[in-house]
Amino acid sequence: MDKKILMKIKDLSVTYQTRLGPVSAVDHVSFDIYKGEILGLVGESGCGKSTLGKALLRMIDPPGEISSGEIIFKGEDIMKYDYNKLRNFRGKRASMIFQDPMTSLNPVQRMDEHLIEAIGVHEPGVKRESALKRSKKMIKRLGIGADRLHSYPHQLSGGMRQRVMTGIGLILNANLIIADEATTSLDVIVEAKLMDQLREIREEFGISLLMITHNIALVAEMADRIAVMYAGHMVEIGDIYKIFEHPKHPYTQGLLASVPNIQFDANEELYKMPGEPPNLTHPPKGCRFHPRCPHAMPICSTREPSLLEIEKGWLVNCWLYQKHQD
Amino acid sequence: MNNQNEKMDSAVPEWQLELDKVGFVRKLLLARKWYKGDWWFVLVSAVLLLVIIILGVFPQWFAPYDPKAEVGPSLLAPGEETPGFLLLANIDDHVVTLQEIATKTNKIGYIMGSQATQALRDSLEIMNEEADNEETGITYQPRGYRYEDIQQGLDALQAGEIDGFIVSSEELGDHLQDYPGIHFVEEVRSSKASSFTLGTNQLGQDILSRIIWGTRIALIVGLSSACISFVIGVPLGLISGFFGGKLDRILTLIMDSLYAFPGLILAIAIAAVLGAGIGNIILAIAVIYIPTYFRVVRGQTLTVKNELYVEAARSLGTKTSTILWKYVFPNVLPSVVIIFSVNVADAILTEAGLSFLGLGLPPDTPDWGIDLARGQDYLRSAWWLITCPGMMVSLVTLSFSMLGESLSEILNPRLSEL
Repeated sequence: MDKKILMKIKDLSVTYQTRLGPVSAVDHVSFDIYKGEILGLVGESGCGKSTLGKALLRMIDPPGEISSGEIIFKGEDIMKYDYNKLRNFRGKRASMIFQDPMTSLNPVQRMDEHLIEAIGVHEPGVKRESALKRSKKMIKRLGIGADRLHSYPHQLSGGMRQRVMTGIGLILNANLIIADEATTSLDVIVEAKLMDQLREIREEFGISLLMITHNIALVAEMADRIAVMYAGHMVEIGDIYKIFEHPKHPYTQGLLASVPNIQFDANEELYKMPGEPPNLTHPPKGCRFHPRCPHAMPICSTREPSLLEIEKGWLVNCWLYQKHQD
Repeated sequence: MNNQNEKMDSAVPEWQLELDKVGFVRKLLLARKWYKGDWWFVLVSAVLLLVIIILGVFPQWFAPYDPKAEVGPSLLAPGEETPGFLLLANIDDHVVTLQEIATKTNKIGYIMGSQATQALRDSLEIMNEEADNEETGITYQPRGYRYEDIQQGLDALQAGEIDGFIVSSEELGDHLQDYPGIHFVEEVRSSKASSFTLGTNQLGQDILSRIIWGTRIALIVGLSSACISFVIGVPLGLISGFFGGKLDRILTLIMDSLYAFPGLILAIAIAAVLGAGIGNIILAIAVIYIPTYFRVVRGQTLTVKNELYVEAARSLGTKTSTILWKYVFPNVLPSVVIIFSVNVADAILTEAGLSFLGLGLPPDTPDWGIDLARGQDYLRSAWWLITCPGMMVSLVTLSFSMLGESLSEILNPRLSEL
């Protein structure tokens, strides 16, 4: 896997100031996104996936803030961008597709206005007609009739809206698309179609896709690599086949075992991970997963492991695979 | 694959797509469906508003009289006939009209304190005006002679001391039969009109004309003060709600303190400082309403700015100003439109209050507020003084709020197509 790195995330932390004290929703996370890959980011609800996705565009609003780290995109640190440069970065080079297609389009704007505006923001010189032409082409590419462009969001079905959203994300030829639960609210047929199209477009334009989702089956189907987050930490990242075959981190093992499978016997029970995700205002000492870990060792509750490579391109954040004194 | 695609597109019912093709007028009529009303409801409000606006712009086309002129007897009820007074003269003089005995050398008698003198004066005035217009050079100005009662007067007339005698029919009674040498010449009235559609006020001004001319003032004051508050209140609310922080705190504090102050008293204070005059009234009323716009817009903005589509726009790198103008403002607008219509109506009433206190317009201005205020004194004896201007205020209020509602339905694409 000697691919070019598109985005390098180093030691990124996002902290929310709450009344109960600071909560680190994303805690010192480092990983790379390669050019042209689909990276699936999975984890339980509240583990910081969406926050991480937003942080990559620096879209964290107060009371949250990016408290440390670097986001290096094509050799430039986004954290050092000023407002105008940041605006130019968003949409043009990295864009986001949101969870809910029902509410992520302006209800009083027609579809074509959305697309034309996206073009207008970054390419002020482009005339309306040519922008409209481009929008039509893009919308056709995503399988919607061009005549639907002149509709309001509420006149379209969820699948169509989501495809328009995707079109808005793609129309500026961004290098990185962050799809935050982009297909969660769609039915399986529409979801499969949209995913198919995303994959085609990835191959066509060589974009990278960060897929944030709960849907592990979808990640297995789509992604090249998978990243697993737990309580604000990146616990495992690596090649999709290897991880699905032999997950190393106990959390990944549990997560994959919890996925329903048709091959299960009716008598066989689905694996249920014991315990609850930790309260992030007071995370457990040491490894954040140790209270729920079946393989917990004495060191786990005292010292934090670090994300280290166990094989080329396969990183695990667990004492089981790291040398320690005890 | 292709087949599936078509199937998905038809998930949107056809009628919804066809609604896209209908024009603005159709939408205007469809809008009421949401309200479970009917199309005529919108039609009525539109016609009403149109009539009011035309009245306000071209009052001279509709008003039968000059609103400031005293054109008839005072406090004449709607449709009531202008009382006529009897002009009497000697049969031997062969008098046929008032003109013949109304020159400077003539003498006309009347009973002391009789209503007839007013009618005589009014009709002489009309005659003089006509004489001026025709440039006949005649001035009608007979000398008046007062008598204590009808008998004295008629005696003098028979004796030839005076040329004519003017009297009401009640005063005359059946005295005429005692004086065979005296006959009835003609009826003398205060005005050429035999009656006034909506009656006259205490000064003898025509109420219909005043109402029609008053529309102009009402529209000017109502619309311009509402526009000023809109133009100031809405952007401030948008900015305050969207950016938050210290600016929001300060603006909210200022607006809340303005809001807490009783509106009319604040307007009185402002108008008193600025002085009378239409421009100052507009300003004073505008200031009262700014906080209302501000609060509603700020609250709505706080909700809308957290919507996903605003975040999506930000993730595309859309400028903040564009987000405010294209994403937040249109979604806030429906609630603002309603305030606007209420505001227009309230401004008319506030203006009336200010004029009543002498802080508004000059007292002879044809204005609903002034008429309402002054008509209160005659509430028991002359109901028509305040009924008509009051109805006009309600009518304008109603038509503006109906317009506001239908507009907000048309502006909101989701409601307009249901």
